[in-house]
Amino acid sequence: MSDGQLKAYYVYSPWLRIFHWLMVMSIVVLFFTGLYIGNPFFIGSQGLEPTYAFSERLSMETVRFIHFAAAFILVCAFVLRVYGFVVNKGDRLLPRFWTKQHWAWTMDIMLHYMLLRASHKPYLRNPLARMSYLGVYFLIGIEAITGFTMYVMVDPKSIWGQSFSLVNSLLINEYYVHLIHHYVAWLIIIFAVVHIYMAVRADFMEREGEISSMFSGVKFLAHQPVDLGEIATEEDSLVRYWDNIARDSRPHSG
Amino acid sequence: MQTNNSLWELFQKRGLSRRSFLKTCAMITGLLGLSPLKCTEVVAAAEEKNLPVVIWLHGHECTGCDESFLRSQTPLASDVILNMISVEYDDCLSAAAGEPFEQHFKEIIEKYAGQYILAVEGGVPLAENGIYCMVGGRPFVTVLKEAAAGAAAIVEYGSCSAWGGIQSAKPNPTNTVAVSQIVGGTTIVKVPGCPPIPEVMTAVIMHFALFGQLPPLDTSGRPKQFYGNRIHDTCYRRPFFDSGMFAERFDDAGAKAGWCLYKVGCRGPATYNSCGNMRWWNGLSYPIQSGHGCIGCSNNGFWDNDQFYERLPNIPISATIANADTIGAVATGVAVAGVVAHGALSVVEKYKRQRQSKPEEERRP
Repeated sequence: MSDGQLKAYYVYSPWLRIFHWLMVMSIVVLFFTGLYIGNPFFIGSQGLEPTYAFSERLSMETVRFIHFAAAFILVCAFVLRVYGFVVNKGDRLLPRFWTKQHWAWTMDIMLHYMLLRASHKPYLRNPLARMSYLGVYFLIGIEAITGFTMYVMVDPKSIWGQSFSLVNSLLINEYYVHLIHHYVAWLIIIFAVVHIYMAVRADFMEREGEISSMFSGVKFLAHQPVDLGEIATEEDSLVRYWDNIARDSRPHSG
Repeated sequence: MQTNNSLWELFQKRGLSRRSFLKTCAMITGLLGLSPLKCTEVVAAAEEKNLPVVIWLHGHECTGCDESFLRSQTPLASDVILNMISVEYDDCLSAAAGEPFEQHFKEIIEKYAGQYILAVEGGVPLAENGIYCMVGGRPFVTVLKEAAAGAAAIVEYGSCSAWGGIQSAKPNPTNTVAVSQIVGGTTIVKVPGCPPIPEVMTAVIMHFALFGQLPPLDTSGRPKQFYGNRIHDTCYRRPFFDSGMFAERFDDAGAKAGWCLYKVGCRGPATYNSCGNMRWWNGLSYPIQSGHGCIGCSNNGFWDNDQFYERLPNIPISATIANADTIGAVATGVAVAGVVAHGALSVVEKYKRQRQSKPEEERRP
């Protein structure tokens, strides 16, 4: 605490935050419905013929429908992410990995996570985490491509079927598409475990409002963040935001 | 037999009626997977086009595709071989002919250079200069290259010829490859399957015979009308899948009642073939109908996608077996344990640091 004063920095636009929570919900739904589709079971009585069974609470058709709906929501939600990136500086998609500085910061964070460095420099957005988000978008992209390949090949004559059938031939056969879909789903879940832990840990260790920032868009830092110019500007968002809060809470005087 | 006749000329020579010729044409139209409107084009082609000369080679394979072809019902394989195409060379059917037949092969590829259809069954072993498959005393790869040079089109019959086949399964000791990996640049159509459906085999060759061009191909080079759809999407057991009714074992009530075989490893959801709609033996049955899951025999690399009776392949890890989901669950468990341990260490570090940096009274006001 250099001057004992916390400063608010406006980092995330509402678009990114909505996208984040849509992504969380759809990934949870996709993962569990996906597990069901991989190893389905039936609840209730079903009889010998499928005539009425499809309308039961839990049927392959229902669960598959939910899986596909969640998949479309996840893919479409990415529009919000891109829009946020366009309108707000804090929603940057790419870390500046062409600069030496970015790698120095990443090393700083990594040494801290390896418990070799007691504290790290103050960042508005953790450079290591930003790279991992790029990684998880890549994984989601693989899931989307493999998933849509399986989905659209129901109608191979359609324009979608014709374009996605290439994925099958590139990956030898469609069975490998299924396999990749399974493995990458687990990679995304492993990412989620580490991500949630890291967010909680940052909140606990640094007390900068790491978790609430994904609701409010604001982080609170005691020190001047080193990536200030990259994520947000002093004049623009944060000072005005802080001033507005201060003005709103100021008591009226004659 | 006479070569270079059209189908109509052949019908006239045999004293068959125009009516039966037209009926045959209608049947061929359906067989080729074409729209009924195309029937007039088929008739026109059958009146004019000369019957194609076919050279049929056998490589690294089991001749199962021949066995399948011989069981074609509509048209009968005998009709195809004796009346519809002119098979000039088939080393398997004419093995007894011996040396003179090899001489005939040389004459044929010169006489009909650029006109004949080359049908190939079997993969091409390349290891040790191809000595793992010798035909007439020569490596198969040499014979294939000779025959392919003058071929108007090459038909790869069966998974061996189209993808490499079972003998190219890991570790592929004979280094067997697909025909198209040896002879590129020519018109090649893949008719995979182990074996392919007999009616598909006859239909592909008839399509080329009548229209002089290959049927429309998909991105893997297979004719769309036969390999466009997944077996899963054309399977008569699909309603059981949608309703979540699955045979869990091959001896349970579900299997007996004909439920979906998805959970006992059916590869229908990943396999492109006509088994679901054309079926085998003139529409009599197909593997799933007889109670056995599809093994994906028309897929590239199906031989390495074992276990055939498991949904996901087993991955041998020392002293245990696991599939993708088991590995994923274990890895996630390890990740959870890892972050918990890291969290505990981080907390310890933090308190240690605070105790060092601040005197007791400041820390507890």
